[in-house]
Amino acid sequence: MAFIGFSTGALELGNFQEALRLMSGTSMTAVELSALRLHELPVLVSALRSLNLEQFSYVSVHAPSRFSADEEGGVIELLRQIPNGWPIIVHPDTIHDFEKWTRFGNQLALENMDRRKPDGRSAEELSRWFDRFPAARLCFDLAHAHQCDRTMTEAFRILLGFRERICQLHISELDSAGHHFPLSYGTMQAFSEIAPLILADSPVILESLNPLPGAGDDVQKAWIELEAHRASAAVGREEMFPVASTLPGQITIPSGSVLA
Amino acid sequence: MSGSPCAGQSGSPLGELERKLGCSWKNIENARQRTRIALQQLSKIIEGKPGPDTSVIVHGSLARHECTQGSDLDWTLLVDSQADAEDQRTFLAIRTALGSDSVFKDLDLNKPGPEGTFGALEFSQPIVHFIGGEEDSNSNTTRRVLLLLEAEPIGVRRAAFDRVRKGVLKRYIDEDRRLLQRGYERKGVRWVPLFLLNDFARYWRTIAVDFAYKQFDRGNEGYALRNFKLGVSRKLLFASGLLACFWCDPRISKNEKQEPSKLSLIDCLDRFLSLTPLERIALFFTKHLNTSESEFLRETARELFCSYDAFLGLLNDSDKRQHLKGLRQEEEETDEVFKEAWKTRRFFRRAIQDMFLGEVSPLRDLSIERGVF
Repeated sequence: MAFIGFSTGALELGNFQEALRLMSGTSMTAVELSALRLHELPVLVSALRSLNLEQFSYVSVHAPSRFSADEEGGVIELLRQIPNGWPIIVHPDTIHDFEKWTRFGNQLALENMDRRKPDGRSAEELSRWFDRFPAARLCFDLAHAHQCDRTMTEAFRILLGFRERICQLHISELDSAGHHFPLSYGTMQAFSEIAPLILADSPVILESLNPLPGAGDDVQKAWIELEAHRASAAVGREEMFPVASTLPGQITIPSGSVLA
Repeated sequence: MSGSPCAGQSGSPLGELERKLGCSWKNIENARQRTRIALQQLSKIIEGKPGPDTSVIVHGSLARHECTQGSDLDWTLLVDSQADAEDQRTFLAIRTALGSDSVFKDLDLNKPGPEGTFGALEFSQPIVHFIGGEEDSNSNTTRRVLLLLEAEPIGVRRAAFDRVRKGVLKRYIDEDRRLLQRGYERKGVRWVPLFLLNDFARYWRTIAVDFAYKQFDRGNEGYALRNFKLGVSRKLLFASGLLACFWCDPRISKNEKQEPSKLSLIDCLDRFLSLTPLERIALFFTKHLNTSESEFLRETARELFCSYDAFLGLLNDSDKRQHLKGLRQEEEETDEVFKEAWKTRRFFRRAIQDMFLGEVSPLRDLSIERGVF
């Protein structure tokens, strides 16, 4: 059984507590606790013991996406408090001192980058990072790979080279400026092309930005289920949602369908 | 036209083939060396000008790594981004930088030809979307096919080029409905991408027809030199494209890991086409020289590369080049330089024919079955 869920930052930017509350009672079985902005990390780490994560069989933490060399030591000290079994997702370009990160071993999960970044985008660039961190795993961001190469050839190359290292997938739609959106038909089609190459048990973390912030809980929860269904359909996992789902407004989604 | 024993071209399929054949092709190596210097200098000249969604691309002899004295500086600015009028300003800045007289003097290059295909701005959308149909103009076809066969991005901005080239390849592969499927009567799957092969063939015939058009349009001016290039470097380009299509077949590439998936074929083509045309041909020979047909292939490879070496030697001789350029049609039969060029062209043609259609060539069956009818 593969796990699926959301990044807390996608559901509620900067408010992981609220994001967890939105996911409670849904069928989500995975979560990525997001501390993308540096100031979010100490708050998240101090709250770890009090979070109710019983619903989730897979938990990861996303490290800040920007910090200076001077701040790196403090970031690492905080990340050391993350339970060993939880992968720590790191953008390669944030790393200043390689030596400091080697201690994380296979808890370190490097993420392939979007095209705004100068490194870590292609299989070739990633291979240099894995040479430096041989035990590290890969958070394979399909949206980043798709933004770098619409044909998904680079995604194909990344999968051929590093499929065994993948600890989780990131799934969302990304525009050319790097903003995350809910999945569109074209993107789902593109992802489905490389789906057979992805190991069946790779957890899926959605980064689709919640388009309904402030709406009623049942509407947001229905969107969470719908988007998760679309993501699982895009990577060929219809079996995760074998029964037709029903949306508010009685919209029926046949199993295995791909919606625009 | 025999090669002398020594090594060169290290680190490329050409170097490996030289070693296997015990040859050295000095004119090819000199042209590659000259190209390396030119590309480095051109990269410096455009430094800081192209944006993140653009690539400056060189074509022609620069892209083939066959720069000789008087080669044209054929370049385009490829844009693959949101519509932005600023791209025109970028283009003008690059055109000014690449158009200064000192560039042509220092690098011994000529300005782009008068057709307007080069020294121009080009956009990814028509290149990717218009394959065939009314919108696929002569210049659109030229830009698209050259993007695959004879193009190299210069400077640090290469991503737009990489994206668009893969995008074009995906069109050819995705829309080839029976690619990788078993035919009704055939035993194995079809690996050769026929949509792509047909467009390469169409482009090759377009060049040949345009050759006659230019003859008509320019009143035979420069006929002998153009004829020489058509029969050697243009033919090489087509041959390397045809080979790229056949390279998708693991029997030809000898790649046992080649997967029968369309993404795998795009990957295979993208890698193969990132080589220069001569390197593509050299890679084919190096892969097949250890087979039972090796003696035939050795002879064919020697003749092909030695004649091409002679071609570049002649082009790099400015006196002979100028002589050919100014030669009148009625002088050809008795002209010694023209005879030399004609002989080189004939040797090259025979070698190419042997490579694809020779009795024991590994490419023979595919050439007949897929390349002719």
